[in-house]
Formats: sequence, C-alpha cells, structure tokens
Amino acid sequence: MKSAAELAAAAERAFEYVRGQDGLLEAEVFTAANGALLTRLNYTSHIPCNGVEEPKSTESCGLGIRAVFASPDGPRIGFGSEPSDLGPAGAERALERARHAAVADPDFVSLPDPSREPRALADYHDPRLMEVDDASLVDMGFQVVGGALRTFLASSRLATLAEDDAALRRLGLIVGGDVTILQERIAIVSTRLPRVQTDESTLMTAFVTSMVEAHAAKGSGASTGTRLDHFSDEAGVEAAQNAIRAIGGERVPSGEYTVIFGRQPVADLLNNLVVPACTANAFYSSRTPFLGKLGRPVAAPQLHVYDHGAMPGLMGSKGITCEGLPTGRTDLIRSGVLVGCLSSWYATQRLLRDPALGEKLGATGRVAQAALAPRNGFRFGAGGGRQFDVPPGIAASNVVVEGAEPVALDELVRAVKHGLYVGRIWYTYPINGLRAGDFTCTVVADSYIIRDGRLASPLRANAIRINDNIGRILDNIVGITKDVKGTIVWAADEVVYAPEIAVRGVRVDAIAGFMEELE
Amino acid sequence: MASRLSVDLIETIKPVAEECLHDAQRRLARLRYADLRLEVSEAKWAVAENGSPKGSGDDESLSLGVRVLAGDRTVAPGYAGLALGAADAPDLPRILRDALERAYRRATANAEQKAEAREKFGGLGEALGETRLHPVEIRRDTVPAAYRVDPRALDLGEMTRFATDVSRQVASVAPALKYNWIATLSRLSRELFASTEGACIDQAFALTQGSCSVVAVAGATSQDLYDVLGHQRGWEILLEGVDEPLIRFPTFHDWALGLARQAVALAAAPPLPTSDREVVVVTDPHYNTLVSHEIIGHPVELDRALKMETAYAGRSWLLAGLGEHQVGKRVASPLVTAYSDPALPGYGHYTYDHEGTPARRVVHIDRGVFQGFMNSRQTAAIFGGQPNGHWKATDAALVPLIRMSNTAFGAGTRPPEEIIKEVDRGWYFAGHRTPSIAESRENFRISARAVYEIRDGALGRLHRDGGIVADSRDYLMNVDAVGADFRLYPIPNCGKGQPMQVKKLGNGGPTMRSRARVAGG
Repeated sequence: MKSAAELAAAAERAFEYVRGQDGLLEAEVFTAANGALLTRLNYTSHIPCNGVEEPKSTESCGLGIRAVFASPDGPRIGFGSEPSDLGPAGAERALERARHAAVADPDFVSLPDPSREPRALADYHDPRLMEVDDASLVDMGFQVVGGALRTFLASSRLATLAEDDAALRRLGLIVGGDVTILQERIAIVSTRLPRVQTDESTLMTAFVTSMVEAHAAKGSGASTGTRLDHFSDEAGVEAAQNAIRAIGGERVPSGEYTVIFGRQPVADLLNNLVVPACTANAFYSSRTPFLGKLGRPVAAPQLHVYDHGAMPGLMGSKGITCEGLPTGRTDLIRSGVLVGCLSSWYATQRLLRDPALGEKLGATGRVAQAALAPRNGFRFGAGGGRQFDVPPGIAASNVVVEGAEPVALDELVRAVKHGLYVGRIWYTYPINGLRAGDFTCTVVADSYIIRDGRLASPLRANAIRINDNIGRILDNIVGITKDVKGTIVWAADEVVYAPEIAVRGVRVDAIAGFMEELE
Repeated sequence: MASRLSVDLIETIKPVAEECLHDAQRRLARLRYADLRLEVSEAKWAVAENGSPKGSGDDESLSLGVRVLAGDRTVAPGYAGLALGAADAPDLPRILRDALERAYRRATANAEQKAEAREKFGGLGEALGETRLHPVEIRRDTVPAAYRVDPRALDLGEMTRFATDVSRQVASVAPALKYNWIATLSRLSRELFASTEGACIDQAFALTQGSCSVVAVAGATSQDLYDVLGHQRGWEILLEGVDEPLIRFPTFHDWALGLARQAVALAAAPPLPTSDREVVVVTDPHYNTLVSHEIIGHPVELDRALKMETAYAGRSWLLAGLGEHQVGKRVASPLVTAYSDPALPGYGHYTYDHEGTPARRVVHIDRGVFQGFMNSRQTAAIFGGQPNGHWKATDAALVPLIRMSNTAFGAGTRPPEEIIKEVDRGWYFAGHRTPSIAESRENFRISARAVYEIRDGALGRLHRDGGIVADSRDYLMNVDAVGADFRLYPIPNCGKGQPMQVKKLGNGGPTMRSRARVAGG
C-alpha cells in the first residue's frame, strides 16, 4: 500500500502537470490508496462449515482529477481517473478523460474554497492496523468464532437443553459475521487549496450474529475500534450470550406499544431515514420529510442529532473531507429543531443559488449558509475506503444522538412499565418515498417484552413488523438513555453513536405465525 | 502515456493465466485447487438533471480475483482481490503469481486454524469440515457479447446531449414535476475464468441501461419514482426500445416521459387506505418482478439457506437443517411455478457462472411444490444436487455469492383482463416500488408505484403510497389466477455480501391474483 508521502508527492507532481495545460481554469488532484481486509465468519453446528469462511482482501490505488476548462460556452467541468498509475502517464490519462467528459453544468460555481475553520485532527491512525498479515487476519476470525463457541460450551442453559454433543449440535448453533479492517490514505491538492494535504485513517470492526436456531433465538454482538490493541473475542462472546438469552422468545399481538429502540435500531432509523432526510441533496430534490422546515421543530424537544467528523477516537473521524476541507461538527437537530444539513461544496453552492431555496430549505441568506457548511464531501464506496475514481458526494461521518435529560436504561425501562425493548431491526426502508416518512421493518433479534418495569421475557425473533412513520417516531420520543455506543449497520458509510430511545404509540403487527407450524 | 485498457487484453492474458495456475500447482505443496478471474470493462456514461448536463465518463477497469483451497490436516479457502489499471497490464504475470501466493497463505493459515479449532471445541468442532467443491464438467469456451451498436464506438458528447434532451423534456411534463435525474450507461466487459482443473472460459457481455428518477410535488406530497430500462445489448435499445417475446420497452425517451407523467398523477391522488383484513389483490408483471425477487429468488439462494448469510442478507424459511426443509412440500397454490433461468435474455443472462459451471435452469416451485435451490459448487457439495451455475460476483476482485440469474414466476394461461374482470371489489397493483422483507423471507411488505381500485371488474380510481403486506407462504397459497402475459424486467441494484455487492439481474412474472392485507400511507 502506498504511503501518505508517496500519495502526496504523486498529487503534487500531477497537479504541476495539470495546471500547466492550456485552457484550464482550475483543477484538483486526489490520490488514494485503500485496503480492506475482511475475514468472513460462518460456523453452523448442524451443517458442515469452515468457521472462517472467507479470509480475503481488496486493494486499490489511483488518482482522480476534477478540472474546469474554458470554452466558448462558458466553463466546462470534468472528472477523470486512472487506477494504479500515480506517475506522469497516469495524470495525463486522467486529465484527458476529464477533458473528454467535461460538461457545461450551470450549477457549478467553483472547486472548494479554503474553509475558515482549522483542521482539527491529524496523525490519529494506528500504523499497526496498516500492517496486519495474512495469518493474523485468519487468527482474528477464529478468535471471534472461538469466543462464541466457548460461550456456548460453558452455558448451563444450553446444557439443560442438550444432553450430549450430538444434541448440542442439533440445537443449530450459528456464528456468522465478519472482522473487517479498513486502511485508507489520501492526498489532495487544488488551485484553491494549493498546499497538498494528506489524511490516513484506519478502522476495525467485528460484527457477529449468533443463533440457537432450534429455539428461534438470535443475538448479536459487535466490537469496534481504531487501534489493533482494541481487538478481542468480545463480539463473538456477546453475540452467543445474547442468543442464549433469547431462548424462549414469546410472541406479542398486533397493536400500539411504547417501544425502547436499542442502539442498532436507532442507528438503522438514522441511517435509512433521518440522515438521508438531512442532506442538502434531499432538500434540493424536494425529497425530504423536512422540506422547508429549517428552524422549525421536527422532533421532540429532548432530541439532539449532530455529525462530527473530527472527534478524536471516534470510528468515522477523518482529518479532512475528500474535497480537502476540514471535518467538524454539524448540528442537524438541536432540541428537536432542524438546524443544519450535511453537504458537500458543490451541493451547498447549488442549493444556495436555487431560486426556490426559501421554499425548499425554509430559510435563505446567512441562516441558510450557516446550515449548509460543506463538511461532508466524501468519496466513500466499495464497502469502505475513499475512492479515487468518483467525484465527492455527501456522506455522514460520526452521527451522534443525544438526549437533553438522559437517564439510565433501567430507569427508562421502569418508566415505560409495559412495552417492548427492540434491540435489532431489519430491512428498514421508507416504503412510500422519503418525504412521506412511512417506514417498515421487522424485529430480528436482541428484543424483550417489558412488563411491570422490567425486561420480562425475550421477544421471539421475526415475529413482529413495525409499520409507522418517522415523523411520528421523532415526535413521540419519551426518553433517551445516557450511554451512547458506536454502532454500524450493514453497508452504511457512517457510524452512529446511538443511545437507546423510548417512543410511545409505535405501531406493531404480528407476522409469520406459520413458522411455528414448521418446527 | 499508458495505453488504454481494452477488453482484448483477455485474449492475450489467457495463456499467461493458465501458466500461472500450473506454476502455482507445481510450487505450492499444499494447494488442492485454485481459480482466478480477470475482468476488463469499457464503459461510457452520461448524466443530466433538470434539463442540464451533470457529468459523463469514458472509463476502463481491470480487476482480478483469486481463490485457493489448500491445507494439510484439512482444506480451507483463501481469497485475494485487486483493482488494477492499464499500468499493471505489462506486469500481470507477477501480479497473478503474487495474488495466488497471497490467497494460498490465507488458505493454509485458515486450514491450520480450522484443524486446531476442530480439536479444541470437542463436539462443536465436528462441524468444521474440509472444504469441498462438487465436481462439474470442465469447459474451455469463448462466449461473445450480443449488441448492434458497439458501446466502445459511442460518442460521449452525443450521449450527454441525449441524456440532457430527455431530462429537459421530462422537466417540461408539468409544473408539478420539480426534479428529474436521467442517466445512461453502455458498457462492454469481458471476463476470464481459469482453474487448476483445466477450465478456461472467456465470456463477454454488453449492457446498456437508462435510469430515470423523478419527483413530483403537490402540496405536502412528493411522489418520488425511480426505475431503469436495460438489456444486455448495445445503445440501440435506448433509441429504438425492445420488442422481444419476453422483454418489451418503448424508447427511453417515451419511457421516461411516462414515468414523469405517472409521478404527476400520483402526487395528486389520495393515499391507499390500509385494510384490516385480507382483500383481493391483482398484481401486474412489473410488481411481480419485485415479488419474485424478494420472496422467491432470495430464499432459494442456497448459501443463505445454509445460514452463511445469517449476519447480513438473512436465512431462508425453506430450510432449517440438512434434513429439515421444504423440498417436496407444498408452499404455494398449484397455479404457481417459479424458476431461475440464465438462458433467458436480459440482465440475468449468462452461459457460465464465476466458477465455470455451465449455467442451467433450476425450477424452484413446480405447480406449488418446492423443488430446490440455486447453488454453487461448495453449497452443492454440502446439500447435494448438481451445481446449477449461480455463483456470481459483481466484480472480479470480490468473492462470488449465490445470486439470481433470471428468477421469475412462470406464465399461466389467463388473459390479464379476465383476471381483473372477475373481481367485484379489490385492488390492482401496478409497478413495484420499495420492498421490506422479513429475515428468512417469511413475510413481506412491498409498495407499488400505483394502485387502482377494482370495482365490478373494472379499474377505478388511482391511489398513491400503497402496497401489500403478507406472510410469504399464505400469499403464494392464495394465488387463484395466473396470467399469460409473462414479462422479464431488469433489477439494477440487488445488494448482498460483505462488502456489499450491488448486482444487476433479471426478474419477472405474469399478472397474478391473490388475497392479502393492503397497507397505505
């Protein structure tokens, strides 16, 4: 993998070449090297398996050029990239592609200007995570699987259900998931940001689902970190423990419940509904349920949501965006009021010049400008990494959710008294388009029935579907817990630092009763 | 300057790839099997928004994926993937050798750790078995792409003007149409698969796609519709449309305008009321494309059924264990047949999958009785049955998974008009929109683009924001009419895997009638 210094030198060389070309008004060179090491886990006691199913990796390296060319019809903006070749020929090829592909986009104003905010984060990655070898990758996978299997073997609950080894295997013990290490390095330089900047980040996650399948009992576990010494078998142990706790799950009838959403459901609702609704592009295209609501309440007053890409130690933190601008904190919802949007430089310039800005955003002038700070122009993709072959889009980094008067979980459970604790949801989509806010999902694991102010018994996995509306959910928040934890959801770019949130009147439908007939 | 990548690279690299595999077999003592996949793609695209050009591109890519099975005390897999460029082409022999060695190191470390774990975990360790691939017929073959207008010959400026013109016309459909995004893509790719068993398969594919996203606004309602038109053909499909027995589209221009007009009509329509009990639902072939995808295609992927996707895409209600499954049992009405067929045209068409298995039709449901799964060589070795060629990746650098080819409900015999005419009170669901499916695919809620009331055998008032919610088995068992109007449609964005692979594939079906609850906005 190329070093940051090599990427910086390549970016500078390419920029020198590019800016000497005829007809060029401005340009930006972005170089990146990405590595993704991933070991996929699959243990099934009742089906032959590998334990560690896929120790694998992907690597990419290259440069991308955004260039603005003079033309008789006005400026034309183009993007071109070249994989593998960071030398002069690569730069020449990428620029030629950009020239060939350039279009007269009337919404283009300029490449990013320098920010008045200083860069807050540098030298924050763990060099050891850049150098994990093949044997260690496999070993990390087996550590997690081993943590789960030891937990199963030590369980007195399972021992009462299975008299011998064969019976234990027949319980259908499952350990699935992965250990992932992301290695990212970039360098960027442009006409308006002529001092080359570099950024290096690493991220490590273990994400595990376990089951005692014969009892439809499912639990999950996760561990995350930015340093190799954070790694342990914790995710496997936690998932197996949660699966065992879920044995004996009960059904509940359809109806409206007070629901405490656990951290994964909060992250899932943020990832699929709230964060997409808070992007500048969602306002521009009139897709957001918050259309025209900047400065107006969109949630219960106790809810705060912000994105913070520069907080040390958080998993999604970066020093700079993929546009070369400093990352930082962008408040989205403060005390239940919509106060900001995630944006890139291009999206901000476009929306600020939109004649319908006031109608779409709900504010104009300085208020709108302050709400649209371009701190989130990233080039994420391909399952992680900062990609050289795409122009910047809008993505969240660390999304932090907090309550104004947070409480401990047991206090919240006591306050709810009767309801549901939902620990993991699935396939959460805005079923009728984002603006309508209607969403649906099923409850798949880590969930409990709350009776008399305590978690009384497990809720059977895959036995209820939530059919509700995100506007109602945000309005009906009745409590938020104190402790936030970094939570990732499948295929998401951002990390959500989520608490648990109680919501009254959540609509739930009982589903799939026929599954018990099959057992 | 480095020369551009071309799909012709596959021709020159074939003997090199085979030699690298032979060399690995000779040098790497514990190697039991290896395969490699190389893919070169040449693509052109253009995007317009609200009548203005937004971007275009003329890109090539080269990627490599390697699988090795190796070990001593037991056998385990190891993989490696690389995204490469034109500058790597002269150095490919070394890159292939290095990738094979890297995958081999991972496989041998994996095998050693698996053998230790098998001993360490007693009874639970017994499930850790040796990795085996079911035998397949070893082929050496070349399969050309089908197109009339070569994607490589397209003029990028003309593509941009075309997309911008379509976007401009869509924008002028009505004042309520507030936003549109138009994208076109045409690409030619060529894939090489070679293995230590002697397979050497060279397949080329052309693909052209037009995408349209529109937002119509009426007061507090935004109707946000998205769809794609596409085929494994050249640019001609966007200009002329497609008129084949199983795939029919108008020109891209007419099709995009149709979507825009529908969004405007829907924005002014009332939402579908939610029912508290089952009602009669008639679903058109486009809606059933997503139903077949979600409640037929996904649960019949054998990797999912064997629990390998438990943490991600989920499991399948059709299989609890190797001896506990629904094969041979009734899971649908006798009117329902469903299958996957890579030989059919469209996005799901191919001749060999990504481990060189000749692809063949697999019937999942035969007149209501469940028959079996899509599989790979590894999953066929575990569950039994012949490999049917459904192990596919979206890029050679990524590890394949079991994916749909053309998965569809089979045609019936009834004219669709007759199916509607028999209904006195019910709902007609036209076009698919958004799915949400339970983890083992046992329950679903799928929204439709448009819903029409059926009154006394005729379509009535248009409604927006509605869909069907049902337990999968009940829904399939309730089917009481199947139309003769079978169609295949492209699905451009099926997500599965870790890291996520977003795949293009085909689904379809005819008009069908069932009973279910309907859910509105």
